Amino acid sequence: MTYSAVLRPLVGALALAGLASIALPAQAATQDEIETLKQTVRELQKRLEELDQTVEQKVKIVERKQELVNEDVAKKLKDAPTVTASNKGFSIRSADKDFEFKLRGLAQIDYRVYDGDAHAQTTGNTAVATDGFLARRLRPTFEGTLLGKYGFRFTPEFAESGDGGAAASGDRRNNRVRVVDAYFDVNANDAYKFRLGKHKPFVGLERLQSGSDIKFIERSYVSNNILPNRDIGVSLHGDAFDKKLNYAVGYFNGVADGGDNFTSVDDNTDKDFAARLFTTPFAGSGGNLEGLGFGVAGTWANDSNTNALPRYRTPGQNQFFAYASTVTAAGTRSRISPQAYYYNGPLGIIAEYAQVTQDVQRAETAASGAATNAVAAIGPTELKNDAWQIAATWLITGEDASFKGVKPFQPFKFGEPSGWGAWEIGLRYQENNLDSAAARFADNNAGTSGRAGYGLSARTWGVGLSWYHNENSKFLINYEDTSLDDVLRGAGTPTVLRGDKERFLSFRYQVAY
Amino acid sequence: MAFKTPKLKALAAILGLAAAAIAGPAAAETTLLNVSYDPTRELYVDYNAAFAKYWKEKTGETVTVKQSHGGAAKQARAVIDGLQADVVTLALSYDIDELHAKGKLIPADWQKRLPNNSSPYTSTIVLLVRKGNPKNIKDWGDLAKPGVAVITPNPKTSGGARYNYLAIWGWALQQPGGNDKTAQELLTKVYKNVPVLDSGARGSTTTFIERGIGDVLITWENEALLATKELGPDKFDIIVPATSILAEPPVTVVDKVANRRGTRKVAEAYLNYLYSDEGQDIAGKHFYRPTSEKAAKKYEKQFAKTKLISVDEVFGGWQKAQKVHFADGGSFDQIYGIR
Repeated sequence: MTYSAVLRPLVGALALAGLASIALPAQAATQDEIETLKQTVRELQKRLEELDQTVEQKVKIVERKQELVNEDVAKKLKDAPTVTASNKGFSIRSADKDFEFKLRGLAQIDYRVYDGDAHAQTTGNTAVATDGFLARRLRPTFEGTLLGKYGFRFTPEFAESGDGGAAASGDRRNNRVRVVDAYFDVNANDAYKFRLGKHKPFVGLERLQSGSDIKFIERSYVSNNILPNRDIGVSLHGDAFDKKLNYAVGYFNGVADGGDNFTSVDDNTDKDFAARLFTTPFAGSGGNLEGLGFGVAGTWANDSNTNALPRYRTPGQNQFFAYASTVTAAGTRSRISPQAYYYNGPLGIIAEYAQVTQDVQRAETAASGAATNAVAAIGPTELKNDAWQIAATWLITGEDASFKGVKPFQPFKFGEPSGWGAWEIGLRYQENNLDSAAARFADNNAGTSGRAGYGLSARTWGVGLSWYHNENSKFLINYEDTSLDDVLRGAGTPTVLRGDKERFLSFRYQVAY
Repeated sequence: MAFKTPKLKALAAILGLAAAAIAGPAAAETTLLNVSYDPTRELYVDYNAAFAKYWKEKTGETVTVKQSHGGAAKQARAVIDGLQADVVTLALSYDIDELHAKGKLIPADWQKRLPNNSSPYTSTIVLLVRKGNPKNIKDWGDLAKPGVAVITPNPKTSGGARYNYLAIWGWALQQPGGNDKTAQELLTKVYKNVPVLDSGARGSTTTFIERGIGDVLITWENEALLATKELGPDKFDIIVPATSILAEPPVTVVDKVANRRGTRKVAEAYLNYLYSDEGQDIAGKHFYRPTSEKAAKKYEKQFAKTKLISVDEVFGGWQKAQKVHFADGGSFDQIYGIR
């Protein structure tokens, strides 16, 4: 209500009262006095109207100023960095999304049990598995984006891994912090992306699956015993044809089978080339084949004069074959790996094969000390070792399976009414077959350590049960049964894997964000 | 020698793919960002479409031009702070000079690269009043009268506001006995009548037209003509002062950004095309004064004839004007601080 709306009747009443007061002694009232009063009323009305306008303007000015303040605040909020804490981790991101820093983490605590005669022993500095708790992965990850196109990732490991590698891989008690990933990304666009530093070469399918998303406690022989784990180098990768074709090429220092490059300096001048093509031709089609992906990957190197040769391990991480210390690489090393996955509703299948062709040679070993038999030198010999796996999983609670994680329909919450989370069962069969000629290069023929119990072939079947409480927390149980074939019967006491079998029961609690 | 021919070939292949990665996207489609001042929104919507069509026909390449608008000083600050502008089209040269002085994004002699000191169009400052001119405003001096509410943006953030300010100052100097002291006294009175300081010219237009605040809006000629065209001549009158100021909004490629993004060629073409017949015609249609003789003649009737003073002549150029009037502690701070 305006001032005039309130005051106008009052002015009118005053005017009438004035007129009335002069009307009673009407005879006395003069025309001049009436005109004066009328003029006064008009002036008052005008001043009221002006007052109205002034007040209206002042109100509008206040409103506009508030509007500008609100706009300014809204703009500042829009331009302000966003801090988020969610099941994807913690992040600080600029308003334009060009700059971001993320903190993520992965923690896996296992309890591992080895059955009966297959129980391994510990001797000297040799890595063997024993019953007990194991911190398998303790990895904070620091990720960032700069200017939208540049990124980095740094992941240290606070749990020793023992899953392959060269010099340090054999020592499971070597508790030291090491770097898992440390690389820079330059993403020109979806089709052309560069990665420089220590990272997973784009080769193995299951290796490219995040450690938090793998379906069994350990990856298969294909990933752990044949294909590279992580290496230092540069990759160019990207997607084409509406992201239905993924390609990658890379140039690396080179690592042994299943190896992780622990050092920043290469031990030889020869480098590894890696390449991979993977397609999901029916992606986005909505049909039964939508979740089908397949491809092929490989590496090639002229790997000579290095003794960084692999050690082969069972799922329980017991070593079942190692080259003698006098054996070195002696020529080319090439790997080829056809691979595929299929996801349809709750069903997930992953299948992989890998073969490595490696030239090795053995130097002469003279008889001395406890070794009574000298071993003659063996010239360059080409060995073909391979591995394969097929694994199927089924989400019995009905969620969709995928190469990435599982999102339970009804998350489980400790200590309060909730759903049961997601439950998944898995079945896997895998083999690792070494060249029969590898026996001539095995450690047990060195005549010094007398290693027995090595095998040239390992066959493993396994079952698993996963309980996903939510997207970040899960519990796994695995049982895997491994049989060794073509077991080597060297002299001396078996010190690595006693007997020809490994029965391995494992439990894991994992938190990932 | 450890490197062998097959490796070198493979390495060359990787490097070749890398080169293709960098070259590939630029050839397919180019995006430019034009960071401009507040009232040029409509002008550049039309101009960008015309340029994209011209460029497609000439080269076969698709170019998309994005626009960003705001107070000129704020816009310049944003570019210095990292806004990836391929070109800037700002209200006055000082703000673009800042891209060199504070950001080293362009060379010092940027203004010599295009005709007319890199100003493809000009404008001036006029007064917009409510229909019938109830406060009887005829010239700059009337803005200082008690009870006249004046709407103008903040000279600290708006290029147009600095032109407004200098137009009044220049007029005051021309009055009998006029000097810097009388000019400052006049501006003090005028700003005492300013109830709201928007950050840009478009904001002030909103305050005056949409919110109905104030008796008079000091604004760009093009903005005043646009307002009367859009809202009808029955709502506002344009008052052209006897003397006003020549506004020369300049343009330039932001060298560092355009070079880094590989857009220099198209960015240069984009600005050059402003001087073409079509570019000049679009400027005229949007009430900017074209610099080409042909377009200037075509649109001369829509612009009032008035005496225009220039910043260079009266104030010794924008660098000096900025320092004396708009820098911290300058005349504007003295005026606005004592209102």
